[in-house]
Amino acid sequence: MKKLLNIEFIKTLNNSTFKLIIILHALLFMLLVYFSTKIDISIPGFKVSNMFMFPNVWPLFSWYASWFNLLFLGIIIIVLTGNEFSFRTSRLMISNGISRNEFLMGKLMLILLISAWGMTLIFLAGSISGFIFTDKLSLISFFENSHILLIYFVQAIAYMSLALFFANIFKNNALSIMMYLLYFIMIEPLFRLFLPKAIRPYLPVKLISGLTPLPEFFAIGSDDSMISINGKSPLELQGINLFPESIPTYLSLILAVAYISLFITASWYIIKKRDF
Amino acid sequence: MNEVLNISGLTKRYGTLYAIKNLSFKIEKGTVYGILGPNGSGKTTTLSIIMGIIHADSGNFKWFGKDPDHRTYKNIGSLIETPSFYPYLSLYKNLKIITEIKELPSNEIDRVLGLTNLLARKHSQHITLSLGMKQRLGIAAAMLGNPEVMVLDEPTNGLDPEGIAEVRKLIIKEAEAGKTIILASHILDEVEKVCSHVAILKKGKVLRSGKVHELLKNDEMVKITSSKAKELHEALVRGGWQKNIEMNGNEILLSLAEGKTPGELNEFAFKNGFVLDKIEIIKQSLESQFLEIIK
Repeated sequence: MKKLLNIEFIKTLNNSTFKLIIILHALLFMLLVYFSTKIDISIPGFKVSNMFMFPNVWPLFSWYASWFNLLFLGIIIIVLTGNEFSFRTSRLMISNGISRNEFLMGKLMLILLISAWGMTLIFLAGSISGFIFTDKLSLISFFENSHILLIYFVQAIAYMSLALFFANIFKNNALSIMMYLLYFIMIEPLFRLFLPKAIRPYLPVKLISGLTPLPEFFAIGSDDSMISINGKSPLELQGINLFPESIPTYLSLILAVAYISLFITASWYIIKKRDF
Repeated sequence: MNEVLNISGLTKRYGTLYAIKNLSFKIEKGTVYGILGPNGSGKTTTLSIIMGIIHADSGNFKWFGKDPDHRTYKNIGSLIETPSFYPYLSLYKNLKIITEIKELPSNEIDRVLGLTNLLARKHSQHITLSLGMKQRLGIAAAMLGNPEVMVLDEPTNGLDPEGIAEVRKLIIKEAEAGKTIILASHILDEVEKVCSHVAILKKGKVLRSGKVHELLKNDEMVKITSSKAKELHEALVRGGWQKNIEMNGNEILLSLAEGKTPGELNEFAFKNGFVLDKIEIIKQSLESQFLEIIK
């Protein structure tokens, strides 16, 4: 394990594309966080700053970060895996004694580390924001909803596992990135149109992106004057059925883990059978 | 265990085209084994299969008498086709990856870079190297850990004459140290100068194999000049003196059949009334044999 990590560190930490994407990812995320806290909308009964308080900040920032998962983290994995094929270093690795399983394991470790990095970014940004905007700090409010960070972690792994699968199929960075993005924005959405409504939420992209759903801005931004007797905001969108019922979180998580297993197994099979 | 590699019935097909077909040979410890063949004869495919990079469709091979797994390759140094390295990494870091895989100490890197005259470029990015330097780095990588067996595919590709001489010297030095070297090449001169054994491949099949000097000895050519060349040619063919025979004017060029000597040929000609104006023994170069074999 340590050996594989050392090898992946040498390869990635010296790769300028990797460094650029990681820095860009952190920078854009922090900028988004910063500028969103500066938005000032004046709606009676609605306070923008409430969205950046504990515990509201966790789902909000996780949702922000999920967009970067798709764009940046997925692409990082495609580039790092695709490079092994375009530089033909996969041959170098195998002929010097790395097993095909270890070759895949190295990439999976990277996925875990990058996911942890993404989660850490949210944690840092969320903590800073929460400490600044929360009026009554408490451990309970700090930890409430923080489980969404783990859900984000699973989501990041899922996106990158799919990216790894595409990189292993196509072996070419440009083609893999194109197909990965096309799958997200065109292929699966089109495919969904031909499926019964009941099945649509269970397709990989829909399900994985649904792990960190769009926060109910009006509900979490409502001030005390808008809280009704039963403790819920009348603006809570689920309540007025603007959004369809979503899959329960636990089920989404189980299915996401199943999809991750499927993508990794498919990558493993390709690597096992491939002539490098 | 004297047998380092035993290849048995190896076959690899790309679509309907056979890259190698039912290939078999054995390599003994301490030999420098040349795999010689024109482009497309299956040399790289063979080496890629034995190094675990590609899968054979059928057949098998054993390293050191055992079915190989990934650990086997940690004890073999290899350079397959064009050396593949991370272009953005320095020479040191590229080799560091291999020392990590093979669990070797880092000071091995300086040793092999020194042997291949690349120490001064230790911290240069791989992308900045010339073709010859990249090839030398490939050889340096193969030498990491001082392996008992080295598999080298066209190791002098892209090198200038000085570089070629250096690499050959290195290979000979490694061979003298008792290492087993498997060397694929289409350069006959290289095989003749470096290898103790050779297998000649064409279209994925071994046409001939054996010790280089025996192959050469067996194929000594005899050149005879006689005014009765046509009659002598017929007599020789009738008597089964030749493996191959050609006639051009008054000259006959033949490689003698097994067990026949030039002295016996001279005696046969004399006893049958043929006056030989000239009899000359030509040690056929591997090149002419090679061309003849793959014809």
